[in-house]
Amino acid sequence: MGRYNLDAHRVQRHATSLLRTYGNQHSLPSPWFAAVSQNPPPQILTRPPLRRPQRAGKRPSQLFKPVKLSYEEDKLRWEYFNDHPWELARPRIVLEDDGRDVEKTPAMWDWIWQRQSARPLNGESVIQRQAWLLRNTPLTPAAAYDKARKELYRVRHAQETERRIAKEEAQATGAFFGKGPLEVGMHLENSAFEDWKAWAIKESMALKQMQSAAYTGNEVEEADAGPSEQNLQEELQVKEIADAVPGSKRGQEVKGGAAIHP
Amino acid sequence: MIIRTLPLRHGRLAVPKPITPSTLRTLATALDRPRFQPATASLDANGQSPSGGRTLEIRDPTDPVAQNFVFLQQQKALHKPIGSAVEPHYKPHDLIANPPSPKDITLELLMASQAHIGHATSRWNPSNAKYIFGVRGRDDPIHIISLDVTAAYLRRACKVVKGVTERGGLVLFVGTRGGQERIVVRAARLAGGCHLFSKWTPGSITNGQQILGACRKKVIDHNDIEVLGFGDQLERSAALKPDLVVCLNPLENYILLHECGLHNIPTIGIIDTDANPTWVTYPIPANDDSLRSVQVICGTLGRAGQEGQEIRRKSAAQGMWTSMQEHGLQPPTHGQAQREKEMREQEAMLAQQEYEEDARTVASEELEPVAKEDSLPYERDRPLSSEELAQASESARHLADWETAGVVEP
Repeated sequence: MGRYNLDAHRVQRHATSLLRTYGNQHSLPSPWFAAVSQNPPPQILTRPPLRRPQRAGKRPSQLFKPVKLSYEEDKLRWEYFNDHPWELARPRIVLEDDGRDVEKTPAMWDWIWQRQSARPLNGESVIQRQAWLLRNTPLTPAAAYDKARKELYRVRHAQETERRIAKEEAQATGAFFGKGPLEVGMHLENSAFEDWKAWAIKESMALKQMQSAAYTGNEVEEADAGPSEQNLQEELQVKEIADAVPGSKRGQEVKGGAAIHP
Repeated sequence: MIIRTLPLRHGRLAVPKPITPSTLRTLATALDRPRFQPATASLDANGQSPSGGRTLEIRDPTDPVAQNFVFLQQQKALHKPIGSAVEPHYKPHDLIANPPSPKDITLELLMASQAHIGHATSRWNPSNAKYIFGVRGRDDPIHIISLDVTAAYLRRACKVVKGVTERGGLVLFVGTRGGQERIVVRAARLAGGCHLFSKWTPGSITNGQQILGACRKKVIDHNDIEVLGFGDQLERSAALKPDLVVCLNPLENYILLHECGLHNIPTIGIIDTDANPTWVTYPIPANDDSLRSVQVICGTLGRAGQEGQEIRRKSAAQGMWTSMQEHGLQPPTHGQAQREKEMREQEAMLAQQEYEEDARTVASEELEPVAKEDSLPYERDRPLSSEELAQASESARHLADWETAGVVEP
C-alpha cells in the first residue's frame, strides 16, 4: 500500500525472514521473538459493519459508521432540564471511585429522600427515579415525572431552609458574612457609573471650551468664570434621575471607545 | 463553723496523684509496649523472629526519637477508632504507588478511569472504527471507545510485556506528556526497564552510536550482577536498543515509532480515536488524554513486566537461563577482569578519600558571616514606614472585601 507503513505490524515476519536468510544454526532471535510469536498482533485496517438493518430486507444506511447511542433517559433529561435549567448550573462531580456504584445502590428505591452515602442529589437523581418508577410501577410518564420532581422539590426546600436557618444562627452568635451577589452587583454598577460620570464631566468641559473658543465676538464679563467642575457636577447630580441617559429622549449617543475614554 | 477542705492543703492529698494507666480510660486495642517489639518477644537461637518477619532493633530505647516514636504509636492505636470511618475511595497516588495488575483489568476500572472517552467525531481516524462503541452527544458529539475491546487488547499487550521481560528483554516506557513522568518511571522500575519522559531525540536508534555513544554500558550475568572485564569491548559497541517500546502518546512520538519500525522493534501504544493504529504493533484503544487512564494502562503493563522479571529471577536463582542473548562479546581474560576490578576499587578509594577531605575542610573552616551587622539580607525585611503601612492595610481591606464577595479569587 502506498500510504500505510506496516513495518510495525510485520516485525515478527521480518525477523523470521532475517533469521532464515542470514542466520545459521547458532543465531538466536531477539528476546521479544517468542513473546510476539505466541501473541500475534491484532488485525488492523478492517471496517466491519457497525449497524443493523432497521427495516427487514433493507440495507442500513451508513453501514460502517459508528452508531449514535441513545437511551430512554435522554428524553426524560431533555424534558426535565428544559423545565429546570438552573439545575444544570449546579456543579456535578463526574469522578468515580471504582466504577461499581451500581453494586452499592439499593435495588429498591422507595423515594428520592433516601440517603445513599456519597451520592449527589440533583437533576440526574430525578431522571433515575423517574426511570425506575416507569419500569417498576404502573404510573404514566407524566405521573412519574410529577412524583419524581416533587420529591426533589421537598429535598431542595429542606436544604434551603437548613441553609437559611444556619445563616441566621451564625449571625445570632456573632458571625458576619461578606457581600451577597446582589450587593456586589450594585457595587460594580455604582463604580461603573462613577467612572462614566468622571468621563462625562471631562467631555462636557472639553465641549464647552471648544464652543467658547469658536465664539469670536467680544467676551462679556460674566459672573461665573466659564464651566467649572463644581457646576458641572451639580448639574449632573440634579439631572441624574431626570435626564439620565437611558431615560432621555435622544437616548445615549455613541461617543466612541478607548480613544476618547480617559 | 464551716469546715472546709483545709486539711487538704497540708495533708498528703495536697500533692496531686500521678496519672496511672489505670486511671485513664483505655481501649481494648491500646498497647502498653512499643509497637515494634514483637508480641511474644521470643526470638530463635539465631536471633530471628519465629514468624520470619522483619524485626527492628532499638539500639537506644532512651533516645528521644525512639521515645517519640513509641508515644506516636501508642496515641495512634488509642485514637484510631475515634472519628469518621472513611469508606474506600479513589486515591490518585495509589495508581502510581500500587498499580493494578493484569488480573485487575475490569470494565468498571477502565470506565472509572475515563478510558472510554474518545475525541470529537470530526477528528477521528476511520482506521479505528472497529474500536468505537458509539457516538454520544447532541451538539458536540464524541466517540466512545468499546471497553471490552480495550480490555482484550490491554491483556494481550500485558502478555507480550511479560513474555519479553521473562526472557531478559529490555522494555522502554515512553510518556512525553506532562504528568506522565511518575507512572512511566514507576512502570520502568517494576519491569526492570528504561524510561523516557522528555523529548525523544530523533536518531537515538538509527544514529545511536553518535547520540547515545557516551552512555555507560555494563554487562550483567543471569543473576543481575555486573561482570567486569568488558571495558574496551563496550567502548566500541553501540548503545543497547530496546526489545520492546511502550508509548503512552504515539501522536507525539511518530519519529520514535518510525525508528522502531526501521529496526524491527515491536511497539505497544495507547491509540485514541484520532490516532493511527498502524504506527504500533499492539494498539491499545483507550483515552490517552486522561492521566488516570494512562496510569492504569501503563501501571498494568509495568506489573506484567514485574511478573516476567520475577519468573526470570527465580529461574536464574536455580541456575536456569530463560533465554540466551546474542551480544557479540568475547569473554574477557582473567587479567582483563582483574585489572578492571582493581581500577574500580582504586576509583572507589579515591572518591572516599576526597569525600573525607571535603568533610574535614568543611568542619574546620570558619565561615565568615556574609552580611554585615547593620545591613539586612533582603530588602523586604526592612521595617515599613507608616505611609506604606497605611497603604498596605487599605489595599488589603479592599482585597479582603472582594475576596469575601467572591469576585476576586484569593
